[in-house]
Amino acid sequence: MKKVIIYLLMLVSLSFMTTSLYASDVAKENLNQDYKSKSVPELFGSLYESTGLNAIINPTEGLVSHGTVVSVFNQSGGRIMMMAICFVLFYLAIAKGFEPLLLIPIAFGGFLANIPLADIAGPDGFLGILFNMGVSTGLFPIIIFMGVGAMTDFGPLLANPKTALLGGAAQFGIFGTIVGAAALSQYTGVIDFSLKEAAAIGIIGGADGPTSIFVASKLAPDLLGAIAVAAYSYMALVPIIQPPIMKALTTKEERKIKMEQLREVSKLEKIVFPLTVMVICILILPDATPLIGALTFGNFVKESGMAKRLSDTMENSLINIVTIFLGLSVGSKLAAEKFLVPETLGILVLGLIAFSMGTAGGVIMAKVMNKFSTHKINPLIGSAGVSAVPMAARVSNKEGMKEDPSNMLLMHAMGPNVAGVIGSAVAAGVLLSIFK
Amino acid sequence: MEVNLIVESLKFLVLGMSTVFMFLVLLVLVLNLQAKIIMKYFPTKMENINVGHSSSELSQQGNLAVVAAIAASLKSYKQSK
Repeated sequence: MKKVIIYLLMLVSLSFMTTSLYASDVAKENLNQDYKSKSVPELFGSLYESTGLNAIINPTEGLVSHGTVVSVFNQSGGRIMMMAICFVLFYLAIAKGFEPLLLIPIAFGGFLANIPLADIAGPDGFLGILFNMGVSTGLFPIIIFMGVGAMTDFGPLLANPKTALLGGAAQFGIFGTIVGAAALSQYTGVIDFSLKEAAAIGIIGGADGPTSIFVASKLAPDLLGAIAVAAYSYMALVPIIQPPIMKALTTKEERKIKMEQLREVSKLEKIVFPLTVMVICILILPDATPLIGALTFGNFVKESGMAKRLSDTMENSLINIVTIFLGLSVGSKLAAEKFLVPETLGILVLGLIAFSMGTAGGVIMAKVMNKFSTHKINPLIGSAGVSAVPMAARVSNKEGMKEDPSNMLLMHAMGPNVAGVIGSAVAAGVLLSIFK
Repeated sequence: MEVNLIVESLKFLVLGMSTVFMFLVLLVLVLNLQAKIIMKYFPTKMENINVGHSSSELSQQGNLAVVAAIAASLKSYKQSK
């Protein structure tokens, strides 16, 4: 009985094989019918037509790429300009050391996105697939936040909770810039931002890359490239942008203020902290819970101390993998037809204003708090309220040491710094809730 | 209907800053309360070290640990300078 079944099976499979062989013969004939004999010069001619050189020298009218019609300039000169910009970003990242972990993938993504004909950033190219998978959905920024949570020690904030208010004041940059962007589009004809776009630009002032991308992907996907590039390049420029503002707003005496030693924070406090933040967030602003939830999850895993493998993965491998994907897909928005628009210039200018206002907000808040409190705060740590962890805190420390080399402000500045991360996530939640 | 963008964005400013501050003020209050509760009911056991010091039966190993701790703290102090 068994033998009969096996024979039958073999017969059936053989018959399938013959039919498929027959089918491939037919396909070959069809292919040969499509193919016309070409002379050698013709072959070279058609090869030339498919080269990048030809695509740049002879742009085609009305070419559609990434769903939009690409102008003749953007197919030729624009692409070359964008590649040049990418090379400048390479230079800044490699020679100057500005946020190389992000700028290198972003710039290379931009480089790839500007290759003619290949359409790597299109919906079927690998950059487009990465973008649709993680950036349009807001997934990558959330995973980055988990890693940030697993890296961050909230101890300095727990030891001196009132410094959290500095992190709140620095968010003034976000909302002040929205007003600026609205005024710009109200009074100039060249740049026209909608309120949603203005909100997405303002979030640059939070000095928090993932938050900026998260908000921009929801409110203004078209401006995402410019917003991400502005956010990350200004974060890298924090040591240059902040000190003059900090000096202008403080006196020599204020900069010399020594703060009292931070108290010890128990392990239990650190474990409970993420849960506390979560509860407050759930009660006040569920719109911010995706970001805050991921942040507190990462922190909870770290502080629990029982899942070291998970927290190690989150703060190393996972965040690195996602950073690569995020950088490349943000870079895909550096395609000429998306980036070379007047709005980009507006975004770069407004982003700088946002950063400066955030810095000023934090410093001024520290001065106001000193008027009412007996425990003096060095206003230099106010500037650390913009999130940019830990760069902004290092800047505060460095400026403090310039006045008084024995004055260590780093740990004090970490308080407002990590509060700034929470603050900008809350601000993001507010903006998302407005446009729901 | 024409919307005045500036007036709208000023409204966002008021809403946003008050929400951020409300959130953080609440956070500060809760954290202070939490710190008080935890310090009162779950104090960390700092006494252990003192007990070890006062007892005369300090083992050789314990001595080494103390020396190592002092050396480590000295080193980190020097590095921090």
